[in-house]
Amino acid sequence: MLTKKGLKPPGYLKTGTTIVGVVCKDCVVLGADTRATAGSIVADKNCEKIHNMAPNILCCGAGTAADTEAVTDNISSQLKLHRYHTGRESRVVTALTLLKSHLFRYQGHVSAALVLGGVDVTGPHLHTIYPHGSTDTLPFATMGSGSLAAMAIFESEYREGLTRDEGVNLVTKAICSGIFNDLGSGSNVDICVIEKGKTEYLRNHLTPNPRTYISSKGYTFSKKTEVLHTKITPLKELVDVVQVGGDAMEE
Amino acid sequence: MPSQLLALVKLHWGLKSITSNGVVIATEKKLPSILVDETSVQKIQILTPNIGVVYSGMGPDSRVLVRKSRKQAEQYNLLYKEPIPVTQLVRETAAVMQEFTQSGGVRPFGVSLLVAGYDDKGPQLYQVDPSGSYFSWKASAMGKNVSNAKTFLEKRYTDDMELEDAIHTAILTLKEGFEGQISGKNIEIGVIEADRTFRVLTAAQIEDYLQEVE
Repeated sequence: MLTKKGLKPPGYLKTGTTIVGVVCKDCVVLGADTRATAGSIVADKNCEKIHNMAPNILCCGAGTAADTEAVTDNISSQLKLHRYHTGRESRVVTALTLLKSHLFRYQGHVSAALVLGGVDVTGPHLHTIYPHGSTDTLPFATMGSGSLAAMAIFESEYREGLTRDEGVNLVTKAICSGIFNDLGSGSNVDICVIEKGKTEYLRNHLTPNPRTYISSKGYTFSKKTEVLHTKITPLKELVDVVQVGGDAMEE
Repeated sequence: MPSQLLALVKLHWGLKSITSNGVVIATEKKLPSILVDETSVQKIQILTPNIGVVYSGMGPDSRVLVRKSRKQAEQYNLLYKEPIPVTQLVRETAAVMQEFTQSGGVRPFGVSLLVAGYDDKGPQLYQVDPSGSYFSWKASAMGKNVSNAKTFLEKRYTDDMELEDAIHTAILTLKEGFEGQISGKNIEIGVIEADRTFRVLTAAQIEDYLQEVE
């Protein structure tokens, strides 16, 4: 009915998004914003865009939220079984190949654009994966609607051999650039640092958009309403059914 | 068919403040020759982070079952976003084993499994037979010397054992029927405690326990 009046229903939940990754000296730093949009409505102000693929591999997802969630869950499951079977730590290229094969098979209909990063026996790795199944291997990467804002930061400030803290600061700066300059991205900054043998997930590492002006006192209604007059009208007449002798109803 | 001895002990150890529990599974690692690299053989396998398994019987058959069980556990996890309860995994594995007793052109699996796990219902130990029937145990043994081992366990098992005691009991039970010199290299021990993480003890850790038992 509302559509006749001109209201367009919100589209499926997209992540809008700024997601980034950077390879530092011996670690990989991934970053993401936390806004999920349905059209022009912010559907989730603090969603998690960094997904677990393996203890040493994580994946940021942009595009349709359901697609990124489903595809990362699926491949994470496959990687787990592979780990049990081989008795070895998962490699980033394995996750990469499983993801790109899946996306290619669906010819771009699975709308997931991913930034995959991790550290394995062969070293630190960072890749981007596009919905149609193509991949890039890069020292720094950005994806999502805020990718241009974030890439501008990277292109001017990236250097080889960044330390962990320098990497975290650079990633935070890039995500903030997306948060403030792109409408599809916003709220907080999530960071993940993956090093050899250790993964640190810094959820809400930075919260540059707090809710201001929340009343700490809460709300009360001070005046009680006075009762002036009471009148009760029964809605139905009460009817008594009296059994006058007689037999019970025939079955 | 080489049959190996397995001793399994499930125990509750009640501590003063926390009631923690756990399960210990152990097996002798009988190798066909001294030339075999014992590090390449592992009889105790992990199925999920909180469920482990050991077998008695044909190794190749057990590998097929382990692979199938792992996949089933993972599918359950994907569907319900919950770690598979021990009973469910045992049931599904048993169903597979039963299938092979009724289908045409296949033979039953030549293994009995001992599944040890820790979930919301606490520590559990299940035996699954080639027929597909499964039983829950507080303590059990399978394979060679099963009668001696079970008698030994009946005497030694108490409901409120501590983890260390349980490991010692398992080692002693294995020692009963052991041919040759027992060492960290020819037995395997798997443990799951209240932290719900199944782990296989290293040879070095087993040597420490063996020394305590001496």
